[in-house]
Amino acid sequence: MEYVYSLLVLVGIYVVLSASFNLIIGYGGLISIAHPVFFAIGAYTAALCGIHLGTPFAVSVVIGALVALAASFAVSLPALRVSGDFLLIASLGFQLGVVQFIRNINFTGGPGGLSNVPETIAGAQRGPLFAALSLVFALLVVLLIRWITTGPYGRAITAMRDDEIAFSTLGRHAMRIKIVIFALGSCLAGLAGGFYAYYYQFLAPDQFDILQSAMLLTMVVVGGMGTTLGPVVGAVLLLALPQAITFIDLPTYLMGPLQGLLFTSLVLIFIFTNPEGLVAAGKERR
Amino acid sequence: MSADLAIYLQILWTGIAISSYYILFTVAFVLVLKVVHLWNFAQAGIMGTAFYAMYFAANTLQLSPWLVVLFGLFFTVALTVALEYFGLRTLRDRNSPTLTFFIFTLIFSEFISYLLTLIFGTEPLPLYRNILSPVRIVGNVAVSNWDLTAVATTVSLLVALWLFIRYHRLGKYMIAVANNGELAELYGINKKRVYLVSMIIAAIFAVAGMYLYGSHASLLPHTSTGLMVFAVSATLLGGMTSIFGAAAAALLLGLVQAFSVLFIAAQWQSFVVYAFLFGTIILFPTGVKLPRLRSNGLARAR
Repeated sequence: MEYVYSLLVLVGIYVVLSASFNLIIGYGGLISIAHPVFFAIGAYTAALCGIHLGTPFAVSVVIGALVALAASFAVSLPALRVSGDFLLIASLGFQLGVVQFIRNINFTGGPGGLSNVPETIAGAQRGPLFAALSLVFALLVVLLIRWITTGPYGRAITAMRDDEIAFSTLGRHAMRIKIVIFALGSCLAGLAGGFYAYYYQFLAPDQFDILQSAMLLTMVVVGGMGTTLGPVVGAVLLLALPQAITFIDLPTYLMGPLQGLLFTSLVLIFIFTNPEGLVAAGKERR
Repeated sequence: MSADLAIYLQILWTGIAISSYYILFTVAFVLVLKVVHLWNFAQAGIMGTAFYAMYFAANTLQLSPWLVVLFGLFFTVALTVALEYFGLRTLRDRNSPTLTFFIFTLIFSEFISYLLTLIFGTEPLPLYRNILSPVRIVGNVAVSNWDLTAVATTVSLLVALWLFIRYHRLGKYMIAVANNGELAELYGINKKRVYLVSMIIAAIFAVAGMYLYGSHASLLPHTSTGLMVFAVSATLLGGMTSIFGAAAAALLLGLVQAFSVLFIAAQWQSFVVYAFLFGTIILFPTGVKLPRLRSNGLARAR
């Protein structure tokens, strides 16, 4: 049963990650691949606060999210000053640089990882409680993003994404919207990171490397970019598929690359056969 | 010669030699960006394919070095042609947004990387079992055969590219398409053919770079992503559309990285590249302009 709870926690966390990534890439049209690093910043900050300062779970998670939010400005402010393309380049450098930084310093546990994250909930109720919390957290994030994107601000975001020049000629500040979207998405990833740290109680740099970007991108593309439910469908589907592979009983060293091949193949297939993703395609058929 | 000067000269020479493969990767990247107008993140996958094809030829087929390079070239060019024909051309014909090209090239690289991990495993592999190269001492500076091969290969390829762009019809077409693709088409230039030629030249540079890298160090399937980031940094620093400016920037970055051993620990060396990447975006968002190059032949090859 613990396995099911663990899977549910992971589903909740990845729904938050893919939904917040979709806000940046799908709604905002901002090309970034640094989402896993904001997840990492949130996770490591929350864990370090818990270990060294003894802060409670909720406070650590919020601090982690705020640090991720602040870090997002370090990427978006200089990059977006020039053009959207630069955000991609800056995010690539930021992703690789921060993960290497975490790997090289002792304070974060280095390549061996960071353990001893304080236990918040102990006993038999830990699994079901974390699973419930995770799913509620995911639901709230999806509703928040839906509320933002269907309201007046959401229409402004869509208008900015579809035609930035026309949007700017109406006197709207496109860069401000981009920075806000990027900050909000990164902050939500940081929140998910703090949650992840407290549930798994162990963090390693490899958990946040660039391959995570491919996984999140797969969830968003396969589910449907720029839709509320797309990333949810993508996250659930993409977390369920590897579980199916685990039942084939392959050697461990084959599992990682096989899962990666599965994710990337799906994206490539969807790009050419169904670029709008599962949810958007469903809407079209109706 | 004082000991300090000898050390500086040694670092300078080694830095130049190591920069050779960085220059090749950078030229490959900036050529596609300039002519095809594509941030080609698929280059990491192409570089990985080049290395592992040559690894297979050298270790499993036990071929001679020239045949190893030819084998690598065959596979890499074939992959590049397939990428252009079945991937990029399809997306162009559909008028796909920039975001789709970005996702496609990035995921393509990731796909290749996973495939290579599945086939070759996760152990770092050099191209040859023995990567030690005979060394001679020239004025207190150790110069290896590998250093000389690397520098000679890079200089030869750069000169060949300059001559191709300057004097060959296709090279001139590349510059025309880079400057204004639509206008070039009106003059009867086949833009698709030019894109394909640019991608193939980039693949040749990638193969040469990976041969040099692999005969000097070990590689993991994901290493090529880091090498590509170096090329991206140099491309930005060089002004994004200047082929030889980006090559000069790659040399500069390589030297900065080499000299950084005097100030920082070895594991932080690659961090210098990321620092430069951010510094360039903040301080020189359109690259560093070198006015002197504009008045000579190198500038005409821009």
